[in-house]
Amino acid sequence: MVDFTFTEEQEMIRESVRDFARKKIEPIALKMEETHKIPDDVIEGMAEMGLIAPTVSSKYGGQDFDPVTAGIIAEELSRADPTGSIPVFYLVQASWGHVFNKYGTEEAKKEILPNVTKGKWFLGIATTESDAGSDVLGTKTTIQKVGDKYVVNGEKMYISGVREAYTRGGGHVTIAKQFPEKGAKGMTLFYLPLQSKGIIPQYVDDLGREGISTGGFTIDNVEIPSHYIIGQEGKGFYIVHEGYEYARGLIAVICAAAGLKSLERGENYLKQRKAFGMPLAKFEGLQFKLAEHYTKLSYLRWGAYNALWTYHQEILGKASRFEVSKAIAMSKMFAQEWACEAIDDVMQWQGAFGYTRECVDQVAWRAVRSFGWAEGAKEIMKVIVSRELLGKDYTAYK
Amino acid sequence: MKILVLVKQVPDTTDVKFNENGVMIREGLQSILNMFDQFALEEALRIREMYGGEVSVMTLAPEQAKTAMQKCLALGADKAYHISDRAFGGSDTLATSYALSLAVQKTGPYDIIFAGNQATDGDTGHIGPQVAEWMKIPHTSYVERVEKIENGTITVKSLLEDGYRMIEMKLPALVACIPPPNFEYSNPSMSGIIKAKNKPYIWMKADDIDGDKSKFGLNGSPTRVVKMYPPPKRERGQIFTGDYSESVRKIIEHLKEKKVIE
Amino acid sequence: MNIDEYRGILVVGEVYDGKVRPVTYQLISKAREMASSLNTKLSAVLMGNNISQYANDMIAYGADTAYIMEDKVLESYVSELYASVLARFIESIKPEIVLIPATHTGREYGPRIAAYLQTGMTADCTDLQIRNGKFIQIRPAYGGNIMGEIITPNHRPQIATVRPNVFKVGNYDKQRKGETVKVKPDMSNINIRTMIKDIVKTTVTGTKKVDEARVVVSGGRGIGSKEGFSILQDLADLLGGAVGASRVAVELGWMPKSAQVGQSGLTVAPDLYIAVGISGTIQHIVGMKDSKIIIAINKDPNAPIFNIADFGIVGDYREIIPIFIEELKKELKK
Repeated sequence: MVDFTFTEEQEMIRESVRDFARKKIEPIALKMEETHKIPDDVIEGMAEMGLIAPTVSSKYGGQDFDPVTAGIIAEELSRADPTGSIPVFYLVQASWGHVFNKYGTEEAKKEILPNVTKGKWFLGIATTESDAGSDVLGTKTTIQKVGDKYVVNGEKMYISGVREAYTRGGGHVTIAKQFPEKGAKGMTLFYLPLQSKGIIPQYVDDLGREGISTGGFTIDNVEIPSHYIIGQEGKGFYIVHEGYEYARGLIAVICAAAGLKSLERGENYLKQRKAFGMPLAKFEGLQFKLAEHYTKLSYLRWGAYNALWTYHQEILGKASRFEVSKAIAMSKMFAQEWACEAIDDVMQWQGAFGYTRECVDQVAWRAVRSFGWAEGAKEIMKVIVSRELLGKDYTAYK
Repeated sequence: MKILVLVKQVPDTTDVKFNENGVMIREGLQSILNMFDQFALEEALRIREMYGGEVSVMTLAPEQAKTAMQKCLALGADKAYHISDRAFGGSDTLATSYALSLAVQKTGPYDIIFAGNQATDGDTGHIGPQVAEWMKIPHTSYVERVEKIENGTITVKSLLEDGYRMIEMKLPALVACIPPPNFEYSNPSMSGIIKAKNKPYIWMKADDIDGDKSKFGLNGSPTRVVKMYPPPKRERGQIFTGDYSESVRKIIEHLKEKKVIE
Repeated sequence: MNIDEYRGILVVGEVYDGKVRPVTYQLISKAREMASSLNTKLSAVLMGNNISQYANDMIAYGADTAYIMEDKVLESYVSELYASVLARFIESIKPEIVLIPATHTGREYGPRIAAYLQTGMTADCTDLQIRNGKFIQIRPAYGGNIMGEIITPNHRPQIATVRPNVFKVGNYDKQRKGETVKVKPDMSNINIRTMIKDIVKTTVTGTKKVDEARVVVSGGRGIGSKEGFSILQDLADLLGGAVGASRVAVELGWMPKSAQVGQSGLTVAPDLYIAVGISGTIQHIVGMKDSKIIIAINKDPNAPIFNIADFGIVGDYREIIPIFIEELKKELKK
């Protein structure tokens, strides 16, 4: 049986989030390009609505939401914020909130997650380093057990929400090598509070999604308690992929929504703007572009929901991890490209105005472009899908 | 404190589209909770917050109005009464208010009944006053705020065209509410939406409310709508895009001709 | 119900701040036409205290009978009291049609009267017609997007509330003959549970009421600030008019609610309506489309307000209004 409908509750959630986003996010979205900050009252409003890390258990202030429902929220936030800042703020915490909720210790969850869902703290993900991105095994940061504590050393780079966690509080789900000789089985995942002594942040100037910071930090002999370990020692490499996959599914939805929203602006423009005595919308060359982009992005949207649904099936014990990896990788493979292509054409339709800073679509383009790398480059998605099709024996990278 | 809020689901007419003949396109209009009713509900919830008690919502409408009722529950109402029966088809405001007043008596007694001052589709503003009249209880319309509840009375701020009145009524009473400018409507929270699923939702039929059945539905409705049509159009006049001074002078000449200025 | 027992038209007048509301005379004037075409009598009733001096005015505008109900208790308006007293009075004189002003007060006690009498009522009419001896009540619905015609075929009286300013006052004929009848209000067994604690006026004294002015200069979002309205006031003063506002301008806190024109505010029909920086949503248009002359000033050439304006200027009001004022001053000096 195939049923592509959302439940009554999900429709209500969509409507409520859409209305909230229309009233509270749309009016301030473009201002974030200058303020480089999501306004506090928006974060408070999101927390009141239950939109921050809703994937977390209600025991810790979350909503117990499944991945599809989390996707609906991502979609509506993306439609309202062309800068992509709030979608990133949301997706990172929803995905890593899920991982923390599943693998964190009870003590850590009680201590940290309520502060996250209330919007006080930021919960991020820190795996990438200057020399290690898609190749997680290239991680140089180390974690060592010393007595009943752990000590972390190294540096992380191209991390979302560094300033947020460093100034507001919170921290990042971080990966480091504990047993270098064991390769994939020697990596450990843990929670690293960014206000710890020994953390020095630095920032990079992103092309887009200005409302949320990107940067890195050096970790100099930072001590963390043992209950901050997420999952078990040596299991980090496997657990981290669950978070990545969650995030990739949400990113695919976010890309589809940003692209479709841009097409909506484009449609209005095509109808209003006249050239050679008729509306641009009457030119078949432009009509076909619109039809193609709309079709691709609609496939993308449903592909993304299918991926998130598959993820949910795994949570329910009805699908395997491999099925999830494949469905998720497929949904993200073209997400950024197709959305950027659509937005690029919408910019093109608007003539020289499309190349000005006033044009909303260039903001959206810069935001979406980041997802070509974020949470796994598109090339990696192809590696995953081929691996699932051909089997591990034909995989060049371990 | 037992509180009831009368609500209605209405088509969203804030962004209506028209066909080529200037006729409003009714298909595809989204159904929403009447904004006046949402404000009434939010006042009721604020009163519950201050004085304790229970807030129920009630509608007399076809089944699809459940969406609006669920929204009320998601916003914080405790219980929903949905009166739905073909016997009520074709009701005008008199028949609707009669049936509602019976259902109110059946499920009550209530201390306060809230209603929207009007609904954005019919815009009659009849239901509140008429339910109050059937029940022979006091009521006030154009209520922008409930000030206090004290010694069995309710004090409300009721708008006049050029000001307002502070009115005290003995309970039970009905207040028909109008949102102040800038009122920030709440959105149902995620947990509110999830909790709504498990709140009591009571369906009622014509047989469940005792009353004179000849006053239900079309038979009980004295008024008949005989015709609907798009509003008459004014013609587009002369629109100047050029020099301001010249445009202004031309308009003033015309005003003089028409003796608007002398 | 034997509907043939009901004869004549009754207009319910309103006294407000010790004066008769203009809508009273507008309704009497309209009802005069209707009574003539139905070949029936027109009466009007006024409630309050020390109001008998207005009987002659009601007759001069067209009433055949002016009923005056005076009592100290009726001096301050209370919905349940007015509804009961009026309903009993209507029962006693049995008119076939009752017209009630669609003021805040009329829309409060009116529906109660209809429920008391268990008869039909049509709210907020913008037109009334007599066709083949039938009373047709015309009103907007769906936020002004649709007009509906409503009849009350088998119940009497047929009650309608009517918005102020949709009808013009007719001739004032001092010589008109009519009868003034003082009625003792029936207040027996009425349990009044409502008390007026305070009445506060928010309109600045001395300023003209928007719905009573001959000229209305209204501002919307395009005015840009509260301060921007002062130049509209200058223009309105020059023309002896009042300043109105769109819903947005009220919501932004630039103007008080009492100045709001449109669906959820006042209906106005002045000789001249100047819409400045108002795009012209249907909700606004409903409240001013019956103005005799409409002038629109807006930056956006595609603003829908231009579609209903007799004259429009596309441009910045900050430049246009001063020119308007200057040119008007020249004219008025002549």
